[in-house]
Amino acid sequence: MDDHAESEVKHKWGMVIDQDICTGCQACVVACAMENNISFVGEEDAGYGRSMQWIRIERFWEGEYPEVRTTDFQPVLCQQCGKAPCEPVCPVFASVHSDSQQINLQVYNRCVGTRYCANNCPYQVREFNWRDYERPTPLENQLNPSVTVRRKGVMEKCNFCLQRIVSGEDKAASEGRSILDGEVKTACMQVCPTNAITFGRLDDPESEVSKLSRNARGFILLEELGTEPAVTYLKGGSTHG
Amino acid sequence: MTGNINRRDFLKIAGAGVAATAVLTGCGPASRYVIRQPYAQMPEYTYNGQFTDYATTCRECPAGCGIIVRTMQGRAIKIEGNPDHPVNKGKTCARGQAALQGLYNPDRIKNPVRKERDSDSMEDVSWDEAVNIVASAFSTIPAKEIVFLLGSKDDHLFDLVSEITSALGAPAPIRYGIQQVFDSRSTLMDASRQVFNQSAIPFFDLENADLVISFGANFLETFLSPVSFSRGYSKFRKGKVGKRGYLVQLEARLSQTAANADEWLPITPGTEGSLAMALGALVVEKAGSVLPGLYVGVDAKPIADTAGIQFEKLDHLADLIMQSEHPLFIPGGFSMGHANGLENAQAILALNVLMKNIGLPGGVFLSPVVQEIEKNRQKLNTFPEIYDLVHRMKTGKVNTLFIHGINPHFELPNSLGFKEAIKEVPTVISFSPFPDETAMAADYIFPDHTPLESWGYQSINSGSDQSAVSGSQPVVAPFYKTRGTSDFFLAACLEAGGELVAKIPYKDIVEFLKVKLKDLVSAEGFYSAPEINTFMSLFQQFGGWWSANANLIDPGNPTILTSSLKIPQASTNSDYDFFLLPYPSPILSDGSGANKPWLQETPDPTTTVTWNSWIEINPKTADELGIQDDDIIRVISEFGILEAPVYLYPAIRPNVIAIPFGQGHTAYGRYAKGRGVNPADLLGLGLNGSLDLAFADTRVRLEKTGRKQVLSRMESRMGVYGDSTNE
Repeated sequence: MDDHAESEVKHKWGMVIDQDICTGCQACVVACAMENNISFVGEEDAGYGRSMQWIRIERFWEGEYPEVRTTDFQPVLCQQCGKAPCEPVCPVFASVHSDSQQINLQVYNRCVGTRYCANNCPYQVREFNWRDYERPTPLENQLNPSVTVRRKGVMEKCNFCLQRIVSGEDKAASEGRSILDGEVKTACMQVCPTNAITFGRLDDPESEVSKLSRNARGFILLEELGTEPAVTYLKGGSTHG
Repeated sequence: MTGNINRRDFLKIAGAGVAATAVLTGCGPASRYVIRQPYAQMPEYTYNGQFTDYATTCRECPAGCGIIVRTMQGRAIKIEGNPDHPVNKGKTCARGQAALQGLYNPDRIKNPVRKERDSDSMEDVSWDEAVNIVASAFSTIPAKEIVFLLGSKDDHLFDLVSEITSALGAPAPIRYGIQQVFDSRSTLMDASRQVFNQSAIPFFDLENADLVISFGANFLETFLSPVSFSRGYSKFRKGKVGKRGYLVQLEARLSQTAANADEWLPITPGTEGSLAMALGALVVEKAGSVLPGLYVGVDAKPIADTAGIQFEKLDHLADLIMQSEHPLFIPGGFSMGHANGLENAQAILALNVLMKNIGLPGGVFLSPVVQEIEKNRQKLNTFPEIYDLVHRMKTGKVNTLFIHGINPHFELPNSLGFKEAIKEVPTVISFSPFPDETAMAADYIFPDHTPLESWGYQSINSGSDQSAVSGSQPVVAPFYKTRGTSDFFLAACLEAGGELVAKIPYKDIVEFLKVKLKDLVSAEGFYSAPEINTFMSLFQQFGGWWSANANLIDPGNPTILTSSLKIPQASTNSDYDFFLLPYPSPILSDGSGANKPWLQETPDPTTTVTWNSWIEINPKTADELGIQDDDIIRVISEFGILEAPVYLYPAIRPNVIAIPFGQGHTAYGRYAKGRGVNPADLLGLGLNGSLDLAFADTRVRLEKTGRKQVLSRMESRMGVYGDSTNE
C-alpha cells in the first residue's frame, strides 16, 4: 500500500483465548482501559450501551433452575479480521488495514464519525465517542502518553495494543534481531490471572499462539461470514483438543 | 493567563507548577529517597518516552500482591503484576489495575483539615498544628481512653502503632475490616487450630488437585488471595496433560466462581458442614472401610433433604471423590458466615483429613509466615472486640479515636450502632485519603498518602507457598499536601517528648522499616545482603523479601477423625421468608473500590450491571410475588430496611435473595456517593463459634414499592428508555 520503510516489517499478530480457564474476572477489561486511555461514560450512557470498553466479557444463561449455568465466559474484542467488514465502508480511510502488523487500524484524526464501520462490524466491538467524556483533574495524570486521547465524534476500538507492538518491533530492530515469541504482550494478556490469553505472531508457525490456534478446541466467531479473524477461541469444558 | 500561549510556554508553566509542588513536599518522606523532577530538569535515570518502573505492593485488598508501577516523567501510568512476587507472579485483578484512580482521584483530601461533624465544611489546618493536636492528646489524655482503629492488613502501621500504644499504656490497636468477615478469617484460623493444632490460614494447593469441592468459597473473586487462587485454578484445569481438574461448587447462589465450576449445587445456606459429614460417611461406606468415630451415626439421606438437594447428587459427589487422587475440600466464607460456621469449617477440613490429602501436593497445607516479622504480632480482632469498643465509646470511655484503613460507618452492620457511638467520642481523627463516611463524621482529617505514595511492608499470610513480606515504596512524589500516617505518628511522639520519644526512637518510617526488617538480612531469602542498607535497596528493587524456596507447613497427622463432632445444624425457624446473602462484589470488594470510576463502569461478572446495586431473586419466586426485572423492592430484616431494583437471577435458590456489598455510600467522593444500597444496613449481630460475624444468617422479607428503576447493564437489553424497551 505504501513504500515506507516501516512496512517492510511484516508480521501477522494474533491472539488465542482459552475459554476453559477464563474466569470472567474483568481484569482484562480494566487493564485495557488503563493502558489505552479509555473514557468512562457514567451510569446513564452505559445503560444506553455507550460504554467505551474495547474488550467485554460475554456470558449467557442456559437452562432452568436448578440445572442452570452460564455459558463459558467469552472475552470479545476486535477480531482484527483479515477481510474486515469495517474497512471498505469507511469513506475517509480511517478504518484501514496495517500491512506491517496485519491488524485493523483506526486512524483517529481521519475519522469523521459516520459510524458506518460500527454498523458493519458483526462483532460489535467498535465504540463511538458520543461525547467528550469528562475526566476530572487530576485523573488525566494517568493518561498513557503512548496512546492518543480520543474526542467526541470519533470511532475507536482495540488495536492489539499497537503501541506495545511498535515498541517491541523497534527494540528488536535496534538490536538487530527478530522479535521473540512472548516479547510483546497486550495489556489484557499481561494481566490475565489465569493466562487465558495468548498473543504473538501467527506468521511464525512455531510461536505459542500459532500452535494454540491449531488446537482442535479452536473456533472463530461467526466463521460463516468469512471475515478471517486473527483471534481464535478455545472451547471450554475440556483441556486438550 | 494570556489567550495566546504556545505549547513550549505551557510546558514551562506546567513545569513550574510541578516544581512548586516538589518544593512544598521537599520535606515529605518520599523526597529523602525518591526524587521526581518536572519536565525541565529530567533526572539522569529517566529517558523521554521510556518508563521507569517501581516495585511496590497493591493495597486494594488484604492479599498483598506485588505490583510494578510504570511511571513516566513522575506520573504513574500503568500497574502491572510483579513477576517475581510469590503471591501473584506477574498478574493482578481488576481492582489492582484501577488503583491509579485512587492516587489520581479527584475527590482526595488534599491537606489536613478541621471539620464540623457530618458536614461538608472543612477548614485547613497546618501539619504543625495537626502534630500538636495529636501530641497533646498523647500527653494529656489518659492513655486508656485513646483508641486506634486500623484496617485488617498485617502491615508496618499496625506494628508501629502497637509499639506506640504499648509505650503510652493505651489499649492495643484494634484491627478490623468487612473483608475478613466475608472470608471468615478468624473461623478459618480457629478451625485450623482445632483440626491441625496450628493457628494459621490453610493453603489449598489448587494447582495439583484433580477434584475441588468448594463449599461456598468464592476463591476466584475475593476469598483470601484471589489472584493466587486464579493461578492455581489455571494449572488445576490444564496443568497436566489429559487430566483436567474438576470443580464442584456448593452454594445457594451461583457466584462468579460457581459459574466456572463443572457442577453447581444450590444448597440451603448453613448446611455445608452437615453435607461434608454426609459425604465423609458415604465415601467410607463405599470404600468398605471402618467408619471413623467422626462419622458414626451420620445418615446422608435426611441431610440431603435438609440441604434441599437430591440424595443421588450427593452419592454422585461421593463417587467423584472415590475416583480422584487428590480431592480438595475448601471451606469458604459463605459456609462459615453462619452460627454453625466453625463446625462447618471443621467438618469440611476433616474431609481433607479423611481423604489423606494433608501436606501432600494437591492437598491442604498451612500458609508459611515470616517469623522474624510475625513474632509477637497480635492476631486479628474479632467482632466482640468491636462490639466492646462501641460500648466503651457509648459510655464515654473513649476520649480520642484514631481511625485508619477502615471505614466503620460503611463496613460495619448498621445495627451495631457505631454511628451513634462515635457521637459520644470527644475527639475523632481520621487518616483517610478520601472523604469516606467515617472521615465525614470526624473532627479532623489528617490525610495519609495513598498507598502508591507510601513506604511500608505487609506480611503475607495466605496465597503464597513461600513465606513473604511484601514491600511498598513511593512510586511518585506525594501529589498533595498529605503526610504518611506512620511518619505523622512519629512526629507526634517526638513533639510529645518525654518517655514516649525514648521508647519510640525512630527518626522516620524508613528507619522504622529498617529496624523491623533487620532480622531478615541474615535470613535465607531469595537474595542475600551483607547489611541492612543493601538489603533495603534490594527490598525496594524486588518489591519485598521472600524465602528462596517453597516452605509450606505440613500440618502432620491430624486426629480429628477419631474425635466426635456434632453434625452442624442449620438454623431453620424464622418469621422471615428469605435468607439474605450479602456477598462482596467481585469488582468493588469491601466497597473501597466504589470511588474508582473505572471499577464502577466495569460490569459485574455474572449480572453485567454497572454503577449500581441490585437485588438478586429467583425468577420463579419473583413470578409468584408479581415482581419483574427492575422493579424496586423493599427488603426488610429485623435490623433494617433498604430498597433497590431487582435483577431476576436465574441461578439462586428460590428462598434466598442476594445483594452485592460495595455500593450504598453516603460519602466517599462523587463516583461512590448516593449510588446503590449497602446490605450492612440489614445485618444482625449473630456470631459463630469463632466470634466471626454470621453475616449469612440474616433473614428478610420483601415488599413491593410499585416503582421501577432501570439498571444499567451490559447484557442484551439496550437502553434505559423505560418500560417500552425492556425486553
